[in-house]
Amino acid sequence: MSVDTADLLEIPDDGDVTASLAVHGWGDGLPVIAPTPERVAEMLSGCGGTDPDEVVAVLPPRFGEASRQTIAVSAVMAGCRPEHLPVVVSAVRALARPELNLRGVNATTHCVAPLLVVHGEVARTAGYNSGLGAFGPGNRANAATGRAVRLILLHVAGATPGDGDASTQGGPAKYGYCVAENLDASPWAGYAPSVGVDSPSAITVHCGEAPHNVHDMESDHPARILDKVASAMATTAQNNACISQGEYLVALCPEHAATCARAGWSRRDVSSYLFQQARLPAGELTRAFGLRAWAPWMEYLDDDTPTPMTAHPGNIRILVVGGAGKHSSVIPSWGMTRSVTLPVEP
Amino acid sequence: MYVHRPDGPTCAPPAALAPSPPVLAGRRIGILDNRKPNANVLLNRLADRLARRTGAEVTLVEVKNAAVPCEDQVLGRLVEEVELVLTGTAD
Repeated sequence: MSVDTADLLEIPDDGDVTASLAVHGWGDGLPVIAPTPERVAEMLSGCGGTDPDEVVAVLPPRFGEASRQTIAVSAVMAGCRPEHLPVVVSAVRALARPELNLRGVNATTHCVAPLLVVHGEVARTAGYNSGLGAFGPGNRANAATGRAVRLILLHVAGATPGDGDASTQGGPAKYGYCVAENLDASPWAGYAPSVGVDSPSAITVHCGEAPHNVHDMESDHPARILDKVASAMATTAQNNACISQGEYLVALCPEHAATCARAGWSRRDVSSYLFQQARLPAGELTRAFGLRAWAPWMEYLDDDTPTPMTAHPGNIRILVVGGAGKHSSVIPSWGMTRSVTLPVEP
Repeated sequence: MYVHRPDGPTCAPPAALAPSPPVLAGRRIGILDNRKPNANVLLNRLADRLARRTGAEVTLVEVKNAAVPCEDQVLGRLVEEVELVLTGTAD
């Protein structure tokens, strides 16, 4: 590892680290851990013998070069442990994929934030919470990994509110947004293999809104539960409503998923049902949005025609998250973005 | 105490702005409407006034959506047809 003294900054030994870094515009407002050379070197041990200076992604709008070392610096500040670093590095790779459209995600006035979903072995070995309270608070791996990615967006990508992030209101998910898939409680095979990533550990990055809650305490048939999920999807109060390529990540709780599976429904059955049920009359949508990014066929529908909230059932992504209880959630995407799933690799 | 800077280096952006011409008279000007609400109102008025004041030939071009980079086809047309482009409005 090359430690260039130009990369180092002297701050007072007995001073306020957070304040000393904030003078330069760094940090997210919460206290940070000082990224000393010793801590950064220890963090890099999480990526084994890989080259710390290799640039794994270039992140707009600043066009910052995210090397493993640069990523490790924000990971230290966020409170990550070395075993979390490969997840953060893989998330950064996903952020740079063109279909994710990071420049748009960072520049928009919408409140979008990248949701990280950790899949497979690393969720267990590195201590990610996929069960009760998975979206937080209370788990270091989830909290620190989500926060590290946000710090990288602030520091390396330059997504600072005002200059590089035009979000009108911002949002709590912009502090950190990380969860794990609950494979142990899922009646279906893992999400990552379902989208073609057959790796022991994987990560999905889905740029979306905060979770929209769906509760159903009493149903013993999938349709009654999923009709409520469809209701959360079929609203003009989300960005996907005027963008037909938009994705919905539906995080079913284990009990809702079990009800679906007991009735013989596969993950694809759930997506197909939601595609059929999550609809609004075309006229309601066209009255709400003069500017639309719709598939051409949708523009020719009569006002009364029930119109799907997204153009293809494959845009409705199903996975299992959470613990005991009967609350699921719908996470609409920002719209002009596609989720990315990659193997976790250092 | 020494700490690492968290920002790291930047690489050169993929494109830089060309120098602006000193006068607009006689130029071929492109107006790139990014389709943000009311962008067309402002940009159409701008196009009219520019054409009247400078005698420039003004072409109006639309992108598909403001949230994604401008399509190569649109950029190619602008490169062929105009000498400078005006764009950039937000919500």
